[in-house]
Amino acid sequence: MRPPLLKAVKDSIRYGYAVGRVRALEARVLRDAAYERLVDAPTFAEQLRILSDTAYGQYLEGAQTADDVERGLERALESVYGLVAELGLPESMTRFFRVRHDFANLRARLKADVLGASVERDLSPLGTVPIEVVTGAVRELPEPLRRVAAEALDALAALDADAERRGTEVSTLAKLETVDRVVERAEYAELASLARASKSDFLGEYVALSVDLANVKRVIRAKRRGAALAEVEPSLLDGGRVPRTRLAAAYALPLEELAERLASEHALRGVQAEDLLALDRLDVATDALAVRMMRAGRAVPLGAEPVVAYVLAREAEVRQLRVLLIGKLAGLGTEELRARLRKVYVGRG
Amino acid sequence: MKDAILGMSGTDWALLGAGLAAVLGGIGSAIGITTASSTASGILSEDGSKFGKLLPLAAMPGTQGIYGFITAVLVVIFFNILGGKVDLPAAIGFKVFLACLPVAFLALVSAIYQGMTGAAAAGIVAADQPAPALIFPALVETYAVLALIVTILMLLGLQSAAQAL
Repeated sequence: MRPPLLKAVKDSIRYGYAVGRVRALEARVLRDAAYERLVDAPTFAEQLRILSDTAYGQYLEGAQTADDVERGLERALESVYGLVAELGLPESMTRFFRVRHDFANLRARLKADVLGASVERDLSPLGTVPIEVVTGAVRELPEPLRRVAAEALDALAALDADAERRGTEVSTLAKLETVDRVVERAEYAELASLARASKSDFLGEYVALSVDLANVKRVIRAKRRGAALAEVEPSLLDGGRVPRTRLAAAYALPLEELAERLASEHALRGVQAEDLLALDRLDVATDALAVRMMRAGRAVPLGAEPVVAYVLAREAEVRQLRVLLIGKLAGLGTEELRARLRKVYVGRG
Repeated sequence: MKDAILGMSGTDWALLGAGLAAVLGGIGSAIGITTASSTASGILSEDGSKFGKLLPLAAMPGTQGIYGFITAVLVVIFFNILGGKVDLPAAIGFKVFLACLPVAFLALVSAIYQGMTGAAAAGIVAADQPAPALIFPALVETYAVLALIVTILMLLGLQSAAQAL
């Protein structure tokens, strides 16, 4: 183990420039007040006017439809990843942010294959693998996508073979869930591996928290619809701070007690049992934990933490804007939008 | 019998102390300035108007290198090494070496930490906060100055002792 002073010196020199740029850019991150104004804006046009003075103005100028908003926000996120590439961060860290889009694209492609639908329009250009490669032959995919796609296809074939033996038919939902399970497991394993390679404890903690949040949401939703443990357990992910065995043990409890038990987990401190039980607040409550982690990362004076926290915060900002803008286009009212408002990276409470 | 401690003459010890002060102070300053400058450069690449406020933060860890240099020069002058005197008693030379250590180590460590504090304080400048960012790295400076004072006082005492011989 390196002495703390040596590690601090190495980190400060390695990340000093990146931290400086991020400190300057943090001033442009949207604050609570901006989100409040976006929620209160009477029309979509007014929302665009509010955003015209921000970093998003140039990307959303002239947007009229949900598709325009998606493309504009995609370009905004592309500029964030472009910045990351300029910061001289470890390659594994740069890759960490984009590889999630690769897995999302692969998942969409495999699901489209199951449904026999076209997918190109729904794929994100933000990944490391071009869209035409993702939609092409599985054998042409780069690793680890090829391995994951092959694994998913094998799992689907096994489902079919099993159903044939029983003389039944596999439901489309079961096939889609199988794709989700295989791709998601591989995605988190890849993210954990990249976090380890980047030697950033913060990134590793973020992956562990993401796994915990995904598992908690899965457990709560499955319990709510009365699914058996045997159905839920295979879909639980490894790598979280709350072990799968503990989640499986808690699953036997009634829903309210299960929520209480999960809320009392150290890794999930801050989340309330009633938020886990409310369908409309579950995502907001779990996202709040991720935001709390980003804020902690922002407070670190030097190192990878402020940089990682900034990129994750910008991603969260894009997700939030997508909800507010497309929600307004879809005719959602002020209160409905406010209920979907997450805590933000820079702000109070 | 040769006047030596651990095989080194008094002048050798005095020069080792002077050299350590200059070298360690210089290393500390180089690292400290690199740290603070990296962050300052990142901020400046987004907002060039902050150069005036960031320069002192980046330059401040440079003072420890100067303290090490002053210590080395004082040793050379006080003990007339510049004048060609190379027969300092081993006991005095060893004490000169010890007297140089406060500056040597404090300059090394405080410059590194001052660079980190300066880099962190640069965030205050980046955020356009009215708080005076220079105060925090200046607090770290205090201990390097105290070490320099201690070293100078010890060298003055040893100079008197050397002249009395």
